Parts: sequence; structure tokens; C-alpha cells
Amino acid sequence: MVSFILRGTGQRLAALLLLIWSLGPVYWALATSLMKPRDIATSPINFFPPEITFEHYRKLLGGLIGLPDETGIWYDFLRALINSLVLAGGATVLTTAIAALAAYAAVRLRFPGRNLVFYMIVATLAVPGYTVLIPLYRMMVSLGLVDTYSGIILIYISAYLPLAMWLMRSVYESLPLSIEEAAYLDGAGRLYTMIRIVIPLATPGLIAAAILTFLGAWGQFSVPLVFAPTAATKPLTVLIPEFATKNYVDYGLINAAGILAMIPPALVVMFLNRFLLNGLMAGAGK
Amino acid sequence: MSNNEVVMTIMATGDAPRRNWRQLVSSDASLGIALALPVIALMAAFVFVPVLITAWDSFHRVSPMMPGEPFVGFKNYVTMFSDPNVRNAWWNTWFYVVLAVSMQLALGLGTALLLNGMRSGRRWLLAAVILPWALPPVVNAMVWSWIYNPHYGLLNGLLLKFGLIDQARVWMNDQGTALVLVTLVHVWRMMPLNAVILLAALQTIPRELYEAAEVDGASRFRSLRMITLPLISGALGIALTQSTITAFNIFDEAWILAKASAITRPIQGQIYMTAFQDLKFSYGMAMSITVMLVSIVVSAFYIRRIYRETRFD
Amino acid sequence: MKKIIPGARRRALSTAAAALSVALFALPAVAADKITVLLPGRGYTPEILQSFEKDTGIHVDQQTLAWDQLHTRIITALVAGTSPADVIELDWSWVGQFGAAGWLEPLDGKLEQAALDQVSVLPIFKFGGKVVGAPYNNDFKMMVVNADHLKKAGIDKAPRTVDELLAAGKAIKEKGISKYPFGLPLSVGEATSTAWYLVTMMYGGTLFDANGEPAFTDASSGGYKALAFIKQAIDDGLIDPASTAYGNPEVREAFKAGDVSFILSDGPGPLATYNDKEKSRVAGNSVGAVVPNVSGKTVTYGLPEALAIPSASDNKENALKFISYVLKKDIQELYYQQEGNLPTRQDALAALNGEGKLESGDAIVEQVASVQPLFAEGTPAWYPPFSNAAASAVNAVATGQSTVEAAVEAIATAAKSAKDE
Repeated sequence: MVSFILRGTGQRLAALLLLIWSLGPVYWALATSLMKPRDIATSPINFFPPEITFEHYRKLLGGLIGLPDETGIWYDFLRALINSLVLAGGATVLTTAIAALAAYAAVRLRFPGRNLVFYMIVATLAVPGYTVLIPLYRMMVSLGLVDTYSGIILIYISAYLPLAMWLMRSVYESLPLSIEEAAYLDGAGRLYTMIRIVIPLATPGLIAAAILTFLGAWGQFSVPLVFAPTAATKPLTVLIPEFATKNYVDYGLINAAGILAMIPPALVVMFLNRFLLNGLMAGAGK
Repeated sequence: MSNNEVVMTIMATGDAPRRNWRQLVSSDASLGIALALPVIALMAAFVFVPVLITAWDSFHRVSPMMPGEPFVGFKNYVTMFSDPNVRNAWWNTWFYVVLAVSMQLALGLGTALLLNGMRSGRRWLLAAVILPWALPPVVNAMVWSWIYNPHYGLLNGLLLKFGLIDQARVWMNDQGTALVLVTLVHVWRMMPLNAVILLAALQTIPRELYEAAEVDGASRFRSLRMITLPLISGALGIALTQSTITAFNIFDEAWILAKASAITRPIQGQIYMTAFQDLKFSYGMAMSITVMLVSIVVSAFYIRRIYRETRFD
Repeated sequence: MKKIIPGARRRALSTAAAALSVALFALPAVAADKITVLLPGRGYTPEILQSFEKDTGIHVDQQTLAWDQLHTRIITALVAGTSPADVIELDWSWVGQFGAAGWLEPLDGKLEQAALDQVSVLPIFKFGGKVVGAPYNNDFKMMVVNADHLKKAGIDKAPRTVDELLAAGKAIKEKGISKYPFGLPLSVGEATSTAWYLVTMMYGGTLFDANGEPAFTDASSGGYKALAFIKQAIDDGLIDPASTAYGNPEVREAFKAGDVSFILSDGPGPLATYNDKEKSRVAGNSVGAVVPNVSGKTVTYGLPEALAIPSASDNKENALKFISYVLKKDIQELYYQQEGNLPTRQDALAALNGEGKLESGDAIVEQVASVQPLFAEGTPAWYPPFSNAAASAVNAVATGQSTVEAAVEAIATAAKSAKDE
């Protein structure tokens, strides 16, 4: 009993430390976003905004509630937000789906060159962005894929698929073969077994792969910088730095935009959380 | 797109198996190939071919300001070894890799274990943990450069308030401190990735195993060592590799915190300056190919070790 | 041409890669009268773009990017042999590289001569004797002063000589009006190297002599004295040691907070922000002033931005029409009033100042007249590595890691090796 309580206390303390580590700098961004620009640089520093202002949030969201300001930034921001959601969402759904199937092939289906292909794909994790930038740009231009959702999503898939596949492979490897054999003996086909029995068991891995892809794509900067030049596809990560001009860096606005940009991934993770944490426990326990 | 395509290809090939061999193997193989082909095509078009072109360029002198693109053999690679800037950037990079990987692994594992063992409030804590990762990189770097600002920053502000320092310190001037501070920004943003990978793996360990260990009187540390770590070794390998590769690619953090300063400049910063600022394109690409190979070798090294160590336990 | 074979090789590979890609996509339709324009910040205002379209029937598809990322985007497209847009931003510091690479379309004889005659910074955008960019954004180094700090120190006008500047700084420090009177960026970045060039000019120096040899290594040279000035100012507490971690934005924040009294190497652009009550604590007290000089006669250099047409653009006629249009006097005036973009035309500047619409107008007009080229032959192709070496050396002196002698030697060595390649 005592040890249980101690364990609970230790756990709470660790959770508290973790929260301070994760949220401390986030708090600082939030505080900056609520300060008037003239209060941002003061010495000694303001730990709390001396005077709270919502002007930066109004600039970014005002148009939505019928209060647009003269800069019209809200419209660009909204478009970039939608672009970010489409690009990250599209990349996540496709990458996870492809990884689920391809990793299964890499674990359970014997075909010539299987391991070589898998290792080569995983090795591309190590390709730094700048290495392929110029040849990739040439190809994208010749395919007419620059500034299109499909083009950017394809690049994202090629960038995040290796990690997702590797993760899925390690999950499939840890699944007991007996379940699949039983299904097979019952007369179920490979494809049926994979989609109906194996993938549901691998949900936590799948969700982890989805979270990794979504957050990776959400924060992507160098790819859209080059391949998403106009408002039609430009995501938040490329739009937000534009609030820093040569003559004036709008820290308040940049931080407010950063705070807003954190909300969608947080919601996605909270939504996916139940699948991440309950999926396999239920299956394996039976 | 690919989903439908994949399914349709599978159906097409699946209907015509070579029945003269064992049916299972044959249909498995064609299904496997059908599933793998679109992936191979995609990776070839978007990664393999561009990497090959870059590798090819690295054996030529591609410099837009000079006419022609003559073949130069290993010249770019040889020059690299005697270039003091490159050597300096490599030292900084190794520092980042060692520190970032160990911190990310320790913190990521701790976080995953904590989340895994929690009974309530877990989804809130998880959402809070991933927030740093959701902050756009440029905002992230700006927030931190203000935190480290000598006069207006949170770090000196807190240290002064609690009397730990008596005057504002300029942290980025001291190489050791500057390297640690750059690493910290990177670790803060990337640690959640490791936590998620490891948490997913922890979730696959049946609770019965721990109960059995508890009955045997094993300590918590011992069950971590004997049960948990071996069972999540695959995920540990992935997390280690991922951390290593992202640490070899540290760039934005150093760039925004200390600009082009040589005391923090990582190899990616050197590549950027060489290829994009000085327009010595193929020289930069030779460095880039080298970073890629080094990070593959380092990752392969400890993936092998992990597999060997844990398989025997 | 020089790159036929590798180009063909690349194209073949690209086509192969294209063929490998499984998906099918429709090629975007190319409208007949449409151009793309790639600019930093917010670019031209919708009003200007619409009036151009009304005038010429050409629709402008404007792309904007943050200043820091613009260069990467442009280089990627140009190295790939494509055009990033039909009209692109061309910074003064890129001219040598872009010119040497043959990436830009010469504009000689294609723009109205009367307009170009009004643009005094035009020579900065010449490469090999040809004009490759049309300057649209005027920028040059000037000093910014907190007039209230000066008044409190009993000084009634902005210093015009280096001695007056030092005296003013010391007076302000002694009276405790600001702890560190001089703001100067000293981190390893472009802001720092350009600040050093300016202080070099304050001491009557130049970077290179008529033969192109470094003119800053001798202890009596302007460049040497500039480094010594920076070191002495830090030792005397006139420049904040924290400046070694600062670029332009941080120095400007310190000025807006009222923590520094002068920014030695600022420009005309940020004045509006300094005098905005919402954004600055020194609003109403910030004035532009000419750069002090040992001779008492101000000298500065320009860092303008231009519009250029990539050789790879297939819409050059319309691109030229756009450049001619925005180079008009009334458009430059309108753009200044809407976005604070300082005109490059003398007549536009004079008109704005005459109407009292130019903030610190007299100082700006005087300073514009004193703009000298930093490089007599236009910005050289080896400028980026030189600038980086200069910034590193200045930073090393400021942090006490290097002596002035060692620093000037390091810059000279870097200049030589950059030139030799």
C-alpha cells in the first residue's frame, strides 16, 4: 500500500517535471503572443504580460468572426492553415495505409529481394533534404507538380514512408503468428487475413506511424519552401516567417501564429490517443 | 490513389498464380511484389534517382559560376578532408549527435514509461508532451533565441531572479555552453517523437509478463532490464536511428541561435553555406553524400548491437 | 552552350524519374497574359497589381516569401535551370554571383532611359557592364538616434564627426541615460559585416583599393580603425557585450526599449516602427541622422533591392512591362505611402519630402546624395564568403577571441582565397 502511494507520488512528480519541460517554453511563446509589441523587450523581463492584448490573435482570426483588420492577414493565415491540414492529413492517411500494406509484405510475404528492398527504403531515412533538393525540383517542374497538393504530398510520402514502414514491420514481427495461421487454416486468404485480422491488431503501431507522419509533415519547412510557392499550397510553416520583414520582426504575431499552429496536432493526438493506448491490449489479452 | 491501385494489382496478379509450385509460396510472392512495386516506384522517383544524380554531380565540378561541368573524380571528397571549416563542422556535429541522442533516448524512454504506467490523465499529458513537436520550426527557434537573449530572455531572467548569476550572461559566446544550448532546443522539439515510438512498443507488452515477474520478486529495475527493454528492442533501434539521423541534420536551431558562427556551425550549416551561399554546388553535395553515408553506418552499427544484445537476454 | 551534355543527361534522368512516378496529373494551363513575381515580405499591394492589370491586361500572380528564405528558393530554381518566377527579387549582394552564372536577362535599352536616369543606385546592379536589375527598394546605411537621450545629455544636435559621436556616447553613459549608448550588431551574420563596412567608411576608408587589393590591413586604414573602434567601444562600455549575440532585429528591439541611444548602422526603413507608440517605447523621439564621418562630411553605401528577369523565364516581354510600370514615379510614391518601401527614384523621393511625407526626410535626402558604391565594379561573385569571413572576424574581436591585427589578416586571407577560386 505504502509503496503504491509512493509510486503514485513519484509518478505525479515526474509528470509535473515533464509538463514544466514541455510547456515552459510554450508558456513563454503564449505570454509573448499576448503582449503588446512594446512590452516584449524589457529588462528586467516580464514573466507575465503587463497588459494583455488579443490584437495578434485578432489579426490572425478576426475575419472569421467578422472583425477583419486592414492588413487582411487573417485570409492568408486561414488559407495556410487549410493547406497545412490538407497536406499533413493527406500525407498521413496515404503514408499509413501504404506502410501498413508494404510492411506486411516485408514481414510475412516471401518474395525475391524482399530484405534488400526493405533495407534500401529504410536507409533513405538518412538522406538529408538538401541532398535531393535540386534534382527533385527539376523533376517536379517537368511533371508540373510544383505548387500542387498531389506533388507535395507525394514528396511527404516518400519522406515519411521509411519510418512508418519500419515501425509497422517491427509491430508485425511482434505479433504472434498463431493468429494468422488459425485464420489461414479457416480458409481465409492472405489479403483478407491481413486487412481483417492483422492490421486491427497492429493498431497502436499504425496510430504511432500516423502521429509521426502527421507531426513530421505539419512541421515540414524546406519542402514546402521550395515546392509550395503560392498561397494555393503554402502551409503555415512557410507563411509564419513572412511576419518577419527586413525592417520589423513581429514577434507577437509570430508567436500567436505558432500557438495557433500547435492546436490541430494536439487535437489529432488527443483523438488518436485512445487507439494508441487501447488497441493491442484488448487484442493480446484475449 | 495508391490504395485502389494496389488492391487492383493484387487482384489481377492473384488470379493467375503459378500452380506448378507450392501455391502458398507463389501467391505470397506475387502479392508481396504487388504490394512492394508501387512503393519501390515512388521511392525510386522521389529519392533514389535524385540521390544518384546528386552522387554523380559530386564527382564533377558543378559550380554555376564556372563554365562546364568537368569530371573531377574524388577531388571534392579529398578537398573535404583538408578543409578546416569542414573538420570544425564535423566536430560540432559529433557533439550534437552524442548529446542529443543520449538525451533524447533517456528522456523519450522515461516519458514513454511514465505515460504507459499512468492510469488517469494520460491523454492530456500525451497531448502536452507532443506540443513542442507541433511548434513550427521557425517559431521554435525564435522562441528559444528570445529565451537565451542576454537581457530580455527567460533564462537570464530566471537565473537573475533566483540570484544564481549576478549579471546578464552572453551564453552563445562560449563554445561549450553554446553547443549544449543548441542541442537543448533540438532535444526539446524532437524528444516527443521518441516517446511516441517507444510508447507504441510498450503497449504491445502483455501485462501478464510483469505480473509473473512481480510474483518472482523481481525489482522494477530488473523487470525493466529483463522484460521491457528486450521486448521493445525493435522500437529502441528505430528511436535511436531516428534520433541519430535528425541530430546529423541539425541546422535550423544552430542557424537561428548563432547564425553562421563557427563555434556552433554543424555540417549541414557548412553544406548550406558551400552549396547555396558560395554556389560551390558539387562540393556541398559531396559533403551531403558523406553525411548520409556516415549516418547510415552509425545507425547500422548500433542496430546490430541492439539486436545482438537483446536477442541473447 | 556550355552545359549541353550534362543538361541532356539530367533531362534524360528526370524524364526517367517522371516516367517512374505512378500518378497521372494534368499539366497546369498557362494563361496567355499572366506573369509570376517573387518578392520578399508582402510584395506589391493589391491596388498596384490591379492597376497594372487594368493598364496592360496582364495578370500578376505574386508569390511572397520571408526574406531569410527567399535566397534558398531562388537559388534552387536557378541551379535547376528553371525560372523561379518571371520577375524576381535581386538583392545588391547577389549581383556578382547571379551575373557570373548567367542567370539574368540584361535590361539595357529595354527600360525607359528617363526613368533609369533618376535611379542613382543603378550601377550597383551592373554586371560585366550590363544592367541586370532595376532597383525598386532603396536602402542604405544611416544612423538612428534617440533624440530624447541626446537632449538629456545636453547635446542639441546629432553628432556629425566620429569624435562628436564618441563624446556624445560617453556623456550619455556617464549621466546614466542608457547603460550602453551604441547599438551595433556583432553576431556572425551579414548585419555585422555590413556594419563593419560602414564604420570603415566613417573612418574614411574603403574595403579594396583601385587594384582590388584589401585596403584594411594597415593600422592607419579605415577598416583597421573600424575594428579598433568596435573593440574600444566594448571595453569602454559604449557597446553592449551582448551585441555579440545580436543581429539587426535584436539591436532594434533594444533601441525600441530605450536601452540604446544610437543604432550606428541602421537604415531608413525601420523609422516608422520606432515612432509607432504601439510597437516602441521611444516613439516620437526616434530620428534618422546622417552617418558621422571623421571628415565631418557624411558618406555611406547602399544596400538596395532590384527586380530582375531570369534568363530562363519564357515571359520576358510581359515581365519587362511590369518592371517599367512599377518604376514609374507615381507608383513608387504610392508604394511608399502604402508599405513604406523607399523609392529609388530621386524625383519620387524629392516629391515625397516636399510634401512632408518622408519621415526624417531631410536626413534621408542628404544621406541619399552621399551614397557611394561599396564595390566600384559592382558586387563581386566572391562576396558571400568574404562577408562571412568579415562577420566572423569582427565577432571574434568583439568577444575578445582575436586581436584586431589577427582579424584584419584573417579577412584579407579569406578575401584572397575567395577571389582565387
